Amino acid sequence: MGHGKYIAPPRGQYQVLSGEVLNLEFVVLPGESRDIDLSVDLVGEGAQAHIKALYLCKADEKVNFRICMHHCAPGCHSTQKINGIAGGSAQVHFDGTIVVAPEAQQTEAYQENHNIVLTEEAKVETRPQLEIYADDVKCSHGATVGQLNPDELFYMRSRGIPEAEARTLQMLSFLSPVIPAGRGEEIEKAIRSL
Amino acid sequence: MSESNKIIQEFTSAEYKEGFVTDVEQEFIPKGLNEDIIRLISRRKEEPAWLLEFRLDAFRKWQAMPQPDWAHLDMPEIDFQDIIYYAAPKKDKDRPKEIDPKLAETFDKLGIPLREREALAGVVAVDAVFDSVSVTTTFRKTLAEKGIIFCSFSEAVKEHPDLVRQYLASVVPASDNFFAALNSAVFSDGSFCYIPKGVRCPMELSSYFRINARGTGQFERTLIVADEGSYVSYMEGCTAPMRDERQLHAAVVEIVVEKDADVKYSTVQNWYPGDADGKGGILNLVTKRGICKGSGSHLSWTQVETGSAITWKYPSTILKGDFSASEFYSVAVTNNHQQADTGTKMIHLGRGTRSRIVSKGISAGVSQNSYRGLVRMGRNALNARNYSQCDSLLIGSRCGAHTFPVIHSQCPSATVEHEATTSKISEDQLFYCNQRGIGPEDAVGLIVNGYAREVLSRLPMEFAVEAQKLLQVSLEGSVG
Repeated sequence: MGHGKYIAPPRGQYQVLSGEVLNLEFVVLPGESRDIDLSVDLVGEGAQAHIKALYLCKADEKVNFRICMHHCAPGCHSTQKINGIAGGSAQVHFDGTIVVAPEAQQTEAYQENHNIVLTEEAKVETRPQLEIYADDVKCSHGATVGQLNPDELFYMRSRGIPEAEARTLQMLSFLSPVIPAGRGEEIEKAIRSL
Repeated sequence: MSESNKIIQEFTSAEYKEGFVTDVEQEFIPKGLNEDIIRLISRRKEEPAWLLEFRLDAFRKWQAMPQPDWAHLDMPEIDFQDIIYYAAPKKDKDRPKEIDPKLAETFDKLGIPLREREALAGVVAVDAVFDSVSVTTTFRKTLAEKGIIFCSFSEAVKEHPDLVRQYLASVVPASDNFFAALNSAVFSDGSFCYIPKGVRCPMELSSYFRINARGTGQFERTLIVADEGSYVSYMEGCTAPMRDERQLHAAVVEIVVEKDADVKYSTVQNWYPGDADGKGGILNLVTKRGICKGSGSHLSWTQVETGSAITWKYPSTILKGDFSASEFYSVAVTNNHQQADTGTKMIHLGRGTRSRIVSKGISAGVSQNSYRGLVRMGRNALNARNYSQCDSLLIGSRCGAHTFPVIHSQCPSATVEHEATTSKISEDQLFYCNQRGIGPEDAVGLIVNGYAREVLSRLPMEFAVEAQKLLQVSLEGSVG
């Protein structure tokens, strides 16, 4: 029983070879319940993978992220950024793992997951995980669950920006690192609908 | 510099120095675990009927439970019938009040002062537990003058049955988990501590646990109750002889913190970690939990984990009282074949509750070191706040460092932050030290101590020096 040793996860959906770069972007708009299940294997030396995702919920959506980033070869680089806003009675789960195999030296892997909870009924659960079996690595993850900063809101309102507008700006800036190019307007509209 | 150099020198040559065996006559009960054994333990300890009932009830629940296997550990099969559940040094009939000189010598060798006059100016009251029984508790009279009760668990059952009955299993129920249920069924001795309303405990209280007998397990139980507005700082230390068999240690610690009370709980865990090939060592499977019951209460955990072949331990706090606060500071070192799965749970229930987690893992050799944590923000945890930081340091390319935090928020005004990093000691840092004439092993010691400083600085003075030395010993031979 138990599993204290390195066990390679099952083969992923994406195999990234040496010199290749994988870019994935996801947008989950209000009203959509989605399961995003991703597994990436960085199998070639120096392969790269970058994942960006955002979600916006305002009713009873269920959004699940399950991401496994598996570093199998040396010198690979991966980043993950998942930001979102949960309103209504939405339920959001984030389960993200970075696995660094014993031979994957000189790995750089970063993962970030930031969530804002707008209502009392909304629920956010986040499980960022690191499993590291090599030593020459730079790995970090960060996860936060919180609310819109009241100081920022006050700053904008004291300068004559109406509350609703100020909140929209705050949310927009919170999501901006993960908004795909060219979809800014669509997402701004979605934020206004929250 | 010369002082710390001396410490490093002294300890890089040392192995596990607490690994000796005390040759003392002991009485055992037969091997194995069943209701008759539990009745026998209870009879031996002259316990009241309600406590026997509690034990039997826990045992029946335990029988129906599967052993958990979710931890990131390579756990060997434990044969629960192959363990002696009670072992006690025989008392000399001629002078039953005094401590056996051999036991006194043992604790002396371990640096635990059992004679009150010998204690330092910064006094510490000690409850010394040898296998299944408490050998002595010092400074009881001085403490009693202030109304503080500090004694062994067995004595507490006899002298303060109402208090024990009121608080026993109120934080960790008998059926909480597999190992807590086992402990509730067979627990032998441990410490009991009660600080009355408004009293500030004048000295550090401490328990020292020693496993000596072969083939036994230690199952101690500690209960700390801090009444309104009181303060206590409590320390715990432990060692065991070097053996090539695995020995089981399954303890339960419960802490109740009432309104405005403040409890500081520190552990330096130095059970025998097994030899360099992973043979022997203690299985340290412990349940520790405190509850901040009243508003404004405060509980702080500090742990330095260097020993044990396997550590499975999650000191947790339930933040029930409004504006209560809790902290968890941990350094966990694993070397050779050691495995550790340790962390904390912060359950925020009350308004404006606050918690802070700082965990520093260091893995070397072929060890596996995991942080596992939970931060839960309940529906009513308005404006609650948590900050967690979990760093891992890897020394050598065959070890593993893992982080498994879970954040669960059900409250829009609560804020949770979690941050984790994993890295190795950088070549630059080592080069800097080497260039200045500090050898590689000393340099690692220096860097590790700096890395763990934030946690070490939280330890009571008596422990801080010991912990610093321990870090050195634990990492001995991990470089070069």
